[in-house]
Amino acid sequence: MSGRAYATLAAVLLVLLAGLIISFTHGTALAQESQPDGRSEMVFLVTGTIVDRQNLPVKNALVTLIDGATNETLAEGITQPDGRYAMNLDRPVPDQIIMHIERPHFHETDIELGKEAIQTLHLGQPVGVPEVVLARKVTPAFWIATLVFVGVLVLIATGTLHNTLAALLGMAVVLGVSYLGEPINNGLFIFYFQGALAYVDWNVIFLIMGMMMVIAVVERTGIFQWMAFMAYRTSGGRTWLLVIILMLITGIASAFLDNVTTMLLMTPISVQIALALGIMPLALIIPEVFASNVVGISTLIGTPTNILIGSYAHITFTDFLINLTPGVLMALLGLIIYSLLVYREDLSTDGGHGTSDVLLDKLAERAQITEPEHLRKAAWVGAGMLFLFVFGEHIHLIPAVTAIIGATALLIWIRPNIDEMIEAVDWTTLVFFIALFIIVGAVQEVGLISFIAELIGQAVGDNLLLAMLAVIWLSALLSTVIANIPFTAAMLPVVAFLTATIPGASNKALFFCLSVGSAMGGNGSLIGASANMVTAGIADRAGFPITYAYFFRKGFPALLITVGLATIWLLIRFLLLPS
Amino acid sequence: MSGVVCAIRGGPHSQPTIDKAISLAGETGLPLYFLYIVNLDFLAHTLSTRTHTINQEMEQMGEFILLAAQRRAADQGITAETVVRHGNVGEEIVKLCQELSADYLVLGRPQLDDEEANVFTNARLRLFVELVKAESGTDVILLEGYER
Repeated sequence: MSGRAYATLAAVLLVLLAGLIISFTHGTALAQESQPDGRSEMVFLVTGTIVDRQNLPVKNALVTLIDGATNETLAEGITQPDGRYAMNLDRPVPDQIIMHIERPHFHETDIELGKEAIQTLHLGQPVGVPEVVLARKVTPAFWIATLVFVGVLVLIATGTLHNTLAALLGMAVVLGVSYLGEPINNGLFIFYFQGALAYVDWNVIFLIMGMMMVIAVVERTGIFQWMAFMAYRTSGGRTWLLVIILMLITGIASAFLDNVTTMLLMTPISVQIALALGIMPLALIIPEVFASNVVGISTLIGTPTNILIGSYAHITFTDFLINLTPGVLMALLGLIIYSLLVYREDLSTDGGHGTSDVLLDKLAERAQITEPEHLRKAAWVGAGMLFLFVFGEHIHLIPAVTAIIGATALLIWIRPNIDEMIEAVDWTTLVFFIALFIIVGAVQEVGLISFIAELIGQAVGDNLLLAMLAVIWLSALLSTVIANIPFTAAMLPVVAFLTATIPGASNKALFFCLSVGSAMGGNGSLIGASANMVTAGIADRAGFPITYAYFFRKGFPALLITVGLATIWLLIRFLLLPS
Repeated sequence: MSGVVCAIRGGPHSQPTIDKAISLAGETGLPLYFLYIVNLDFLAHTLSTRTHTINQEMEQMGEFILLAAQRRAADQGITAETVVRHGNVGEEIVKLCQELSADYLVLGRPQLDDEEANVFTNARLRLFVELVKAESGTDVILLEGYER
């Protein structure tokens, strides 16, 4: 380096150093200017936490410190999602300070800071205010949000409107009332748009979207048709064995795909196998849909309800496998025995038309993997996703990210018609979830969920056993008449409250109870699960209608058996075995 | 062209309808067509966008049901053709009758629990029969209380 270069470098360094010194001293001067009374080292910090009566944090509450003598506002702060607030007084500390707390749907509260706290502030030390419990207020918005939630459930249950349309209507009403009603009456306010969006669990939305893309590739490969035909071959004409194998295939598929897709693919081929064998198709497809509803809960991604629960309670893929799979296997065993007993006559080939060789030949002809290359690639990507679902939790890799990575990798690898793939994503379902989150957020916001949580909390007290039984059976029985996805979404904060307040429940036992109840409860009635409705629709188109009464007769005992067996497992797992 | 069209859904309730169509084809010597219509209305309240694969699966199931009917006809010495259509049940039946200039349409009469749930409710069926006659000139033969 030449002497000239050294000189240039030295000059640059000098300039930088000078700039640094100037900025430092200037900054200090500004700080000193802002503290003209010489209190530059003093901090007048007031912190604390605000909770509701369920001991859940109250976010977005406006906390104001007021000079008790002059009514002048000293400082303002907003509570964070964990209910905490922190405020810094930028003026001399008066001798009397009132802390005023206000938030929609809660009673306004005033608290006077004690003399000791004010003395501490005078000394320039931070003050921690004891936890404040805000009491709920029932406003007209409470009733509106409650009516909207119930109305949406009724519209979905009765099929008056498409699920998504019903949810959109509910969302529009709660937001519309908030914006249009508030100027007329403050009590009509529920939440603003930003507040509503905060209730949307985007982890759920992206996880479902990613899985839909993967499923869209898999479902076109012909794997289900091939597996169903192999089930027939393996059974060697023994229909009881065929039922068992088909139930296992459906169950395992449901643990990784959503139940509706599984049944959409399994039902038509099962009808064809039954027709070829000359047996009653319902003897195959009803046990399949039962198995789908039961085994689907083994994994995080098996049912939408598990996705909701997993995301809300931070329950991982492995947690679901470990805590639910033994119970699911017990329930499945009971279900298989029950199905074989109930359908023993329908499975008999003696009274039917007998096996048709022509139809069996046709089945064999069709039982081919239509896109083997796509299937091979999907299998690799699926294995990779499974690995990330299981081990990604150690690096805090959330399931939605795994699903998006997997779906993108698969699409890039196989290069499908992207328009077809985008069409394959069920956007209406995603919109349904977004609208549903906002409706459930509305009833949460106005306090309905807190009210229910308090009622259940009072009923079960500190008894974990009682709470587990209540959550499992209440959710199972209600899921027979209420769509289980909105029900589960609404129950999550309730279960969170019980988990926080009941001794021994911190192992999240109650969330697993909710998973079991809401999913297995779907077997209790035709409207209990979307998979049931889809299966009934296909069976009807094949000339084998499934009425509400028929499904109830077969399904409700299945519910009692499976939920009963799963209950036994959950009690063993969480009350007897170490967590 | 002319012939006997038999619209079926499958299942035990379809068998008398199929048998009637086969015997009619035998008596008249007209060609026999079994028709199955893929209709996805049952997805209206759950899924509405993912119809591609479902359509294929339902079509295959329909072909299978028709194949069984075709075999039944063959056992009685009657050659039958099969047709699978997608869409509205009533409209597709009328269309096929028009295309074939069918002489007869054999239908089962519904035994429905839910009168509103099906295109072939008793009340609508009368209107439908008149419509088929008016639109295609096809005679409609109804089998009471069989087809659902």
